[in-house]
Amino acid sequence: MGFHQGLTGELYDRQYSNKILLSRIWDYAKRHRKFIFWMTFSIILHGLFAALPPLLISKVLDEGIAGIPNEMAYTVLVAGVIFLQVMDFVFYYVIRRLMSRITANMNRDLSIDAFASSIEQDLAFHDRLSSGRIVSRITTDTNDFSMLIRLTMDVAGSIVQSVVTAIILFNAEWRLALVLIAFIPIVMLVVSRFRKLARRVTTKGMRAMANVNATIKETISGISVAKNFRQEEEIYRDFKASNTTSFKVNVQRGFVLSIVFPVMRTISGISIAVLVYFGALSVTQGLITAGAWYMVLLASDRFLMPILSVTSYWTQVQTGLSAAERIFALIDSDHSVIQSQNLKVDSITGKIDFNHLSFNYATGGKVLDNFDLHIAPGESIAIVGHTGAGKSSIARLISRFYEFQEGELLIDDIDIRKFDLPALRRNMGIVTQVPFLFDGTVEENIRFAAPNISREEITQLANQIGNGEWLETFSNGLDTQVGERGAHISMGQRQLVALMRVLAHKPAIFILDEATASIDPFTEYQIQQALGLILQHSTSILIAHRLSTVRSADRILVIDHGSIIEEGSHQGLLEQGGHYAELYNTYFRHQSLKYVEEAGQILGKELSGKTTA
Amino acid sequence: MAISEFNSPFKYKTNRSNAFRWVASHALHHWPIFLVAIIGAMGNAALASIPALQYGIVFENLTSGNPLPSIFLRAGAMVGISQIIRGFMQFFRNFGFEVTAQRIERDVRDEFYISLLGKSMTFHSLQSIGDLMARATNDIREVNYIFSPGLNMVLGSINFLFIPLGIGASIHPALLLTPVLFIVFYFVAIVHFLRILEPVTREVRSTFGTLNSRLAEDIDGVETVKAASQEQAEINRFKKNSQAFRDANVKQGDIEARFIPLLLLALAMGFGLLHALILYRQGAIPLSSVISYFSGLAMLGFPTNTSIRSYSQISLGIAGARRLLSTMNSENNLDQNEFGHGAIIQGKVNFENVSFAYDGKNLNLQELTFEVYPGQTVAIVGQTGSGKTSLVRLINRTYDPLTGSVKIDGLDLREWKLDSLRGQISIIEQDIFLFSKSVAKNIAFGKPNATQDEIVLAAQKAQADRFINELPDGYETVIGERGTTISGGQRQRLALARAFLTDPKILILDDSTSAIDSKTEDEIQQAIKLASEGRTTFIITHRLSQIRWADLIIVMRKGRISAIGTHDQLMQTSKSYRNIFAEAKE
Repeated sequence: MGFHQGLTGELYDRQYSNKILLSRIWDYAKRHRKFIFWMTFSIILHGLFAALPPLLISKVLDEGIAGIPNEMAYTVLVAGVIFLQVMDFVFYYVIRRLMSRITANMNRDLSIDAFASSIEQDLAFHDRLSSGRIVSRITTDTNDFSMLIRLTMDVAGSIVQSVVTAIILFNAEWRLALVLIAFIPIVMLVVSRFRKLARRVTTKGMRAMANVNATIKETISGISVAKNFRQEEEIYRDFKASNTTSFKVNVQRGFVLSIVFPVMRTISGISIAVLVYFGALSVTQGLITAGAWYMVLLASDRFLMPILSVTSYWTQVQTGLSAAERIFALIDSDHSVIQSQNLKVDSITGKIDFNHLSFNYATGGKVLDNFDLHIAPGESIAIVGHTGAGKSSIARLISRFYEFQEGELLIDDIDIRKFDLPALRRNMGIVTQVPFLFDGTVEENIRFAAPNISREEITQLANQIGNGEWLETFSNGLDTQVGERGAHISMGQRQLVALMRVLAHKPAIFILDEATASIDPFTEYQIQQALGLILQHSTSILIAHRLSTVRSADRILVIDHGSIIEEGSHQGLLEQGGHYAELYNTYFRHQSLKYVEEAGQILGKELSGKTTA
Repeated sequence: MAISEFNSPFKYKTNRSNAFRWVASHALHHWPIFLVAIIGAMGNAALASIPALQYGIVFENLTSGNPLPSIFLRAGAMVGISQIIRGFMQFFRNFGFEVTAQRIERDVRDEFYISLLGKSMTFHSLQSIGDLMARATNDIREVNYIFSPGLNMVLGSINFLFIPLGIGASIHPALLLTPVLFIVFYFVAIVHFLRILEPVTREVRSTFGTLNSRLAEDIDGVETVKAASQEQAEINRFKKNSQAFRDANVKQGDIEARFIPLLLLALAMGFGLLHALILYRQGAIPLSSVISYFSGLAMLGFPTNTSIRSYSQISLGIAGARRLLSTMNSENNLDQNEFGHGAIIQGKVNFENVSFAYDGKNLNLQELTFEVYPGQTVAIVGQTGSGKTSLVRLINRTYDPLTGSVKIDGLDLREWKLDSLRGQISIIEQDIFLFSKSVAKNIAFGKPNATQDEIVLAAQKAQADRFINELPDGYETVIGERGTTISGGQRQRLALARAFLTDPKILILDDSTSAIDSKTEDEIQQAIKLASEGRTTFIITHRLSQIRWADLIIVMRKGRISAIGTHDQLMQTSKSYRNIFAEAKE
């Protein structure tokens, strides 16, 4: 119910001035100039046609009262009434058709611009604004905004109708018209009181409902566990308490909303009563005709009801404008990663150099400080360190997802800022910590970064990993639907598909932010095989959490507080007994076979075993 | 009908044979307030007609040549008072329907929940929680809407349709023509309108769904999109989806523009007026009656302008009720076997040529045969979809096998008393569910009268005591969705503590967490070791250390056992098993 929304909507603080906002909105609207012109024309005519019938009817009645009506005039008048009513509908039809086009088009154009802007933004932007909020701006806010357009049209129509009616009324008998006008402030006062009350009840209700909904969700999700422990009674008690609270809160809210229209009705009814009496008196005093008296009564309804929609309009305007502002703020956001040139490269060797580079995220302190790193083409580097040491930042700077503050970053001896980013990234294969898959088949996902690869080539690649056995674990091989974000397949399978994507792509630079989740040992083995294949062809930067990954790299870098403190091979670093040794003990030791064998002691097994075949 | 597992009778009897009867039985239970609402609706409509009649009276008096202000006063007062009372009537109607709707929502949700609690674990393991929640929130809300605004508006509209009939009839029978014709065409138009609107609204919803889900994926995975230089491709896709959504919206708008009842209203009022005037000229009725009649016809405005959505809401609500009923009426497959064998389990478990299919046809497990002795620890390994979870669910009789037999202590599970089995077998699931309550209450979930000492002891054995004491309120810290967040490894240890308290004879552990650091790993090893002492333990695990030292290792592949034995045996016989232990030797 639009009216009720108008009562309970929130007020927002705004940054953009009304003038700027409106001019931006007009930018989008003016593409439909012709539509808007015809709309405006139709709205005015519609208002006219809606307001005129009472006038004609009063004339008919007056003729009737006069006794023998002029046949011609009589028929014409009645025909006129029918004509006006029909035209009312015709214009309603025209307006609605135009309106749906205008609003749908603006909605589409705005959301496309908002989306394009978001997807082209750098990661610093996406850190600031959670993905949920971005999506909400692109869909909900654009929708709210187009609602506003529709509302404005409706209100404009109402205003026209009310103004025309007012003119007719004043023309007929200005005193009666004044009586009607006097009711307007009363109506507005009542509506504004309601708005306050409704908002209070709704806010209180929303908080209570958040709790209730969470409990209901929990008591339903927990039924299995409750049954496992045979605690059905207890969980039912929790549920019942929440259900009862939900009922109470909703009834309270329903009470307030149930009152609004009846009160409006009553006020309107009282105004009519007053008009009946005073109007009739005016007729006896010869101020207006009886027909005109009736017209006033007919018109009053067409007058007050539109006022009602205008009063609830204001809050909705605020909501709509705030929505528009959020969208424009999104579109206008500054990019922090800015390229100085558009150098397009077809292929690179994968030589990477960090020279005295300093970097910090917008939110925190220095992550990399005067950082130096030189990676030869084809080399594979494993990066280890405590959380927050700066490991991921190195990878993200190479992918040019963030901008650094000092120093330089060279790819193939060229300043990274000079590249055309899409062209550069086409030479990189990046697998993030939570590998990301799209809703499609396994094959489509593998093909994502290498659109021209054939199915045979994919199959060939697949067979290089343990005889392609891994494909058989998918319900439908390459044609298995992975679901949204890969939800229909396991974590391990998602990683395999992501790695296959890189294998198909064969990029010069491979960046892996290794997942930490637990995967079954068979899939684990397959993943290691896939990694091994990739390492053969690409310059690889591996943020390693697996012991086997660390050991497969050419060189290991130990990072602490944004600097490289140790460097070398696994065995060499262990023997040094420094930071690496400590990291190994904390994060990697339990992955080693030695640990597995020693675990027998913890588990209280002697090597002779307690087994029975 | 099978005995359900939880018996708490719902407050009153409802008719679950079909959706209509079910909803109606709920409504009838609240008949007093429902009646108030209906009376309010009728009163509202009846009183709405008073002004029309009064206009006629006043007009007559005005044109009679002897106007009496007292009559005007009386008429004005009648209008005023009737509209005031009408305001109350309208309130009773609105609030009456609202309260009815809320009560029904509450009662339906209660009934639904009780029915869920009564269903077997079989049923629950097959349900998606998301689906159940959608039923419990959205579908039940739709049932609420049947009454308010649904029936509120629809009944209100129908009442208003009768007013001009009444007024017309009281003046002259011929005047019934216009309103009757209007009503007939009105309903025809509404039915037609709803019919052509429905596929279009579905298309709007589905194009929006497509647009939104791909959008969310793109923004969530923006790093991947950018990494693969696919920004332009995704923008093009968005444009396409956006256009489809736009087109569906325009189609809907065009249909809504053709809302014929508006035209019908215009014609009805016009021709009604004409008709009345003709009768007047024939001298059959006075001019004042023309006024009353015309104002009466204006009442048709309310039903015409009432959102068409109210009709859809009722049908959507019934559809929701149907979905709810189908969930509630679905059968429990397992019987309690109240007179079956009940005894303390020793812990010997046998699978004899067991096969299993979720849907009763397509096999998920085949030819499973093995034997586990009391107190042994069994590690179950395999890739996703190999059947590990299905296997363990046969042990606590969440499901029954299709063929073959699952035996505990030599007796087929179907001969056991289900209650006895469930009380002695504990499963710790992969997704550990903790309630939004204190740590202590969560641990004591299976044994509510546990003392604090017992709880702490269980936590210590589960290697959880230390981290619990580091939480803000120790054992009283509230966890769960609205409380303090705890890590996966910590959740697992809490679940173990929970299991310790109930002291099951058979423990099934779906161990899917990974330890980030070696210290936590040590603690989890220790906790699992203590947990498996003195009972037969099945562990679905990825940890090499658990696999290496298990008494029996079962390797699953595509629903079958691909290898079974001790570690030493498997190292000899299975190449893929050797592979997983072949990595990076020191």
